[in-house]
Amino acid sequence: METLETLYRAPTERSPLLEFDFTNRRLRIEGESYPEDAAAFYGPVIQALETFLAAAVAAPDATVRFELRMSYFNSSSAKALMNIFQRLEAAAATGVGVHIRWHYHVEDDTMQEFGEDFSEDFAHAVFELCEFDDD
Amino acid sequence: MSIATEYFAFHRQLQEHGVVFSFAGYLSEGILFSLGEALKQKMSLEEADSRVIKRVFSVFVEQVQNIIRYSADRVEGDLGRPVELSSGMVVVGREQGRFFVVCGNMVRRDEATELQRRLERLASMDKDSLKSYYRERLRAPVEDDSRGGNIGLIEIARRSTDPIEFGFVEVAGDRSFFCLKAYI
Repeated sequence: METLETLYRAPTERSPLLEFDFTNRRLRIEGESYPEDAAAFYGPVIQALETFLAAAVAAPDATVRFELRMSYFNSSSAKALMNIFQRLEAAAATGVGVHIRWHYHVEDDTMQEFGEDFSEDFAHAVFELCEFDDD
Repeated sequence: MSIATEYFAFHRQLQEHGVVFSFAGYLSEGILFSLGEALKQKMSLEEADSRVIKRVFSVFVEQVQNIIRYSADRVEGDLGRPVELSSGMVVVGREQGRFFVVCGNMVRRDEATELQRRLERLASMDKDSLKSYYRERLRAPVEDDSRGGNIGLIEIARRSTDPIEFGFVEVAGDRSFFCLKAYI
């Protein structure tokens, strides 16, 4: 299968660290997300993910692992995350292994609740809630 | 009346309303970011609960982004890069131990009816209904006419500890002034 270049976005004051290492099937997003233009930030990411998943469906050899550690995101970013999750779940439904880990701080009830909300959308992909403490 | 007397009266009026800060005029994403930073810092220095800070910040962001996207009083142009300025006001304050975030902006009168209908629905929902409505809207495809999917208002209602308050005043032409208040 053709290898896709890693998609990397350094974190900014209002957009998260994003690293989609397609070769090793490891994806991660960390931090805060309320970019000026969520469509401009997430559009290319979702496009690259679609290309990757189309190839992954044809060759579902290794599990796709996605780690999220968000501290805040606005409603436009929530929409984008939902788009990403829907694509991963669709790929999982065709037999691609997908394991998502949603990390949230022990005192962050908002991120915990979002994680619980999102988890209800997965029937084929594994969606794991992971609580972490300060250390 | 001296200008000091005049502006002191204005200043005192804001303080009497518990205002932590207020901004009225043309808002941009840059102003949203700067005001948001100051808001977080001010609340952290006052040692507000981190969960409360997050909720206030979240409501603030959605309120200001609604003004930026939906204010009927706006200017757009290209100054080397696209510039979008929308007129409105945002007020953050404290009232009987609770924070509040108010936004106000002009809307077209024909849009006001639909907005009012949606807000009445949100104000009547309890926490669980708001949660499932948010989930439903999050899954729905983005409507053509809305940048961001309209879930901003649901997010505001969800983070608010009391039902949202809102109102409209008809002004000249085809405009109405709209305001929305959320308590945290």
